[in-house]
Amino acid sequence: MGRIVLDKLGKRFGVVEALRDLNLEIADAELIALLGPSGCGKTTTLLMLAGIYKPTSGQILFDGVAVNDLPPQDRHIGMVFQSYALYPHMTVFDNIAFPLRLLRRPVDEIQRRVLEAAALVQIEALMDRRPSQLSGGQQQRTALARALVKQPTLLLLDEPLSNLDAKLRVLMRAEIKHLQRRLGITTILVTHDQVEAMTMADRIAVLRDGLLQQVGTPDDLYYRPANTFVAGFIGSPPMNFIPAQVETTDGQVAFAAEGMRLPAAEWTAPHLARRRGGPVLVGVRPEDIRLSLVPGESAVQGRILDVEPLGRELVVAVTVGRQVVVAIAEHGFAGKPDQPVGMFVPPERIYVFDPTTESAIV
Amino acid sequence: MEQVTIPAGQLRRWRTPQEVAALAQRARRREVLTQTMIYVLLTLISLPIVVPYLWLVAAAFSERVSYGIIPSGFTLNNWRFLWVANLGFVSGTAGRLPNIWQVVANSLVLAVGTAAIVVVVSTLAGYFISRHGFSRRAGFLKGALALQAFPGITLLVALFILLRSLNLLNSMLGVILVIAALHLPFALFVMKGFFDGIPWDIEMSALIDGASRLRAWYTVLLPQARNGIAAVAMFSFLWGWTDYIYVLTFVLRRSSWTMALYLNSVIGEYRFADYGLMAAVGVFYMIPSLLFFLFTQRQLLQITLGGTKA
Amino acid sequence: MLLLFLGPFVLLTVLFFVMPAIITAFLALTNLDAAFQGTYVGLDNFRGLFADPLLPRVLLNTVVYVFFTLICFNTGLGLVLALLTTHIPDRVGTVFRAIWLLPRLTPMVVYGLLWLWFVDPTKYGMLNTARSWFGLAPLDLISASPWLVIVLVNGFIGASLGMVILTSAIKSVPEDYVRAARVDGASSLAIVRHVILPLIRWPLTFVLVNQTLALLTSYEYILLVTGGGPFYDTTVYALYVFRRAIQNGDYGYGAALAFILVVVGAVAALSYWRLLNFERMISAPKIEAD
Repeated sequence: MGRIVLDKLGKRFGVVEALRDLNLEIADAELIALLGPSGCGKTTTLLMLAGIYKPTSGQILFDGVAVNDLPPQDRHIGMVFQSYALYPHMTVFDNIAFPLRLLRRPVDEIQRRVLEAAALVQIEALMDRRPSQLSGGQQQRTALARALVKQPTLLLLDEPLSNLDAKLRVLMRAEIKHLQRRLGITTILVTHDQVEAMTMADRIAVLRDGLLQQVGTPDDLYYRPANTFVAGFIGSPPMNFIPAQVETTDGQVAFAAEGMRLPAAEWTAPHLARRRGGPVLVGVRPEDIRLSLVPGESAVQGRILDVEPLGRELVVAVTVGRQVVVAIAEHGFAGKPDQPVGMFVPPERIYVFDPTTESAIV
Repeated sequence: MEQVTIPAGQLRRWRTPQEVAALAQRARRREVLTQTMIYVLLTLISLPIVVPYLWLVAAAFSERVSYGIIPSGFTLNNWRFLWVANLGFVSGTAGRLPNIWQVVANSLVLAVGTAAIVVVVSTLAGYFISRHGFSRRAGFLKGALALQAFPGITLLVALFILLRSLNLLNSMLGVILVIAALHLPFALFVMKGFFDGIPWDIEMSALIDGASRLRAWYTVLLPQARNGIAAVAMFSFLWGWTDYIYVLTFVLRRSSWTMALYLNSVIGEYRFADYGLMAAVGVFYMIPSLLFFLFTQRQLLQITLGGTKA
Repeated sequence: MLLLFLGPFVLLTVLFFVMPAIITAFLALTNLDAAFQGTYVGLDNFRGLFADPLLPRVLLNTVVYVFFTLICFNTGLGLVLALLTTHIPDRVGTVFRAIWLLPRLTPMVVYGLLWLWFVDPTKYGMLNTARSWFGLAPLDLISASPWLVIVLVNGFIGASLGMVILTSAIKSVPEDYVRAARVDGASSLAIVRHVILPLIRWPLTFVLVNQTLALLTSYEYILLVTGGGPFYDTTVYALYVFRRAIQNGDYGYGAALAFILVVVGAVAALSYWRLLNFERMISAPKIEAD
């Protein structure tokens, strides 16, 4: 059992409000990611869950019981720190055994459980090494073993992959996810990397400046972002935002911006009706734009500013009027800088936001 | 606490509300208790320092303190050494105390002279050793570190002989040079530390902008190291101001007395008799130290010598 | 360039460090006296060390004084102060640390005055005033417990250096270690024992070595408070050098006594090279232009 509820959770440091009114429910055995840029309050939230910080308002409920004042050692939690925080003067074995020794478990039980935990993350061969003699990935595994050896009810991961190189990160991502599923342990992952959150988490909570922006599955956030922040944070390269006007001609709703006119999907017309003539922010994901070098074929004409080859695909920056729009083109796209280019955006892939509230309209 | 071993995958229940409340209260109580104990302990062990200093200040302005902990009767009479010229000795026939202002002037010459030499020499050397490569640089640093470990007492006899042969006994210059030289290794490492802390990019960019290294030193690096220079200046001022041993050993003439010798003489003559006068002279002597202490204690607590191994 | 910047430093240290060290070595081979008369006597002074009837007492004083001051105050209390003041809000901790720095900044004659006042054998002394409240007769503490006095006199000064160095060492322990230990279930005491102390092992060793040397060679405060007396009861080795050489004018014998301390300094220098991060200290400059 490991159901967690954050109820109007808030934290202030002096005059700085690090977190405000966070409401979040985390189901048993769920892996949830707290995602946001640095300073958004995600690590503060994690440290409150760990009991290192005390909330200044609201409640943390573990299985319906408020644990605000419960000290860390009584919370049944395991935590992996960004720096791993492996004690440099202890061997791998001693590091993993430390939580059990503090509980004064018998020597043979410690021996057995440490080896079990080490086996889970495949570091049985490294037990006599010091942290300084380990690679980044091995340190990461040791930190995981130390967090799991107590058989915690809640696992907290603070940017666990940020100190690994790109290749190892992909590997550990899969391993941690697999381990979490296998153990069925409720896990909270803090990260600033949207790819990490998208690939690992069952659900993601996006935070910004101490405020929760949106909670949902990776698909929810990608296809139904609640506002421009979430839309811009999820996906790479980020979504293009184009200021536009809602126009209606011949019963057809379209977005008009400098040098372009994008027809809206038919089903959105009722939502946009009362905004006719008013400003909106149109969001288009680079991967949804189709580029064409055949003249006159597309509604929107622009000029190629730059082409960045990424191997499998190309990132193409296109100027339309004074606006720069970023698009992704398939491998083999032959456009060169300064060449005219046509763009096509499927109407159903257009996101619309209110320019003042930044919230999604449809 | 229940501690059942459960096979991985089968998870433990959270605690009940009663348990949580009890544990939270225990933790809170323990926290309050720990904090209280720390405060009580710190206060108790710090009292032996605080009380004598308070007494010293109180006694300097009181007619009596001897008969109890509370000084009584405000007076400025204890401070008469400031305006009564050539305060007489109660006992002994050695003569009279020198004029206090002459003594203060001597002390200032000693302190300022020491500070000037230490600051100039250690700033020059600290910069060079921090920023320039030259053969034997490692040897130079090892040597300086060894000097740092060299006990001053071993040199005292030889310094006496040396100053005598240089005809610097009884002169303020001799004492200044000795005190400055003996503290130079320490000052060197403090200054080196400050220069080490200035990013190389700043100096590199100054060179690329067309400065010579000499020019980069005084237009870019020196301003960056001003905290270090200030720290060394204040330290070395106090070394000169508070010194006792070297003036005692090398200054025999009454007209060259510093505050240390003056107070020592007052103690010698008035001990058991006039704690008020002694306290007043003591407080007067402490003023520069106290000012320094009040303004810089925060920075002072951060200065450490070199890096110790991690 | 080299001459301009390093010249003054080298000149002063050679003149007032290296030269005196050489002079000391030569003096130790003479019987120079207060009248500055003396001849070469070979190793007589060093043989004289073994025949000196005062030396055993002085050495015992020194061992007792260094050991107890070092363990109880300069390292022990320094560590305790560093630990306690880092476990309360820093603003308050700074105040307590500042209090302990006060004696070190006080001119030593004033600090000596406070002690003279405290141990004053008449009924006017602080100690005896306090004793009188309990109806106790005045006590001459220096005669009654000479070792206690010299340990206390130096201890209240000496705790501050260890405190300052260990405080900054404790503060530089990464916060994550402490947090991880708390999550792992450690109490404050367990964190100190299993995490903080092992991590400040090197600074602690440095303080130990540095303060052993400092105590072995310090005599100023004892000279001020007891003058080494009664008789030689509170005379430690460094003070013995001072008394024999400067006060009695036995320059030759005093130099021989002092020369022994040079050996101590050399050992300390060697341990500094090991203890301090010398590699980092000499890391090559990143600009090679002149």
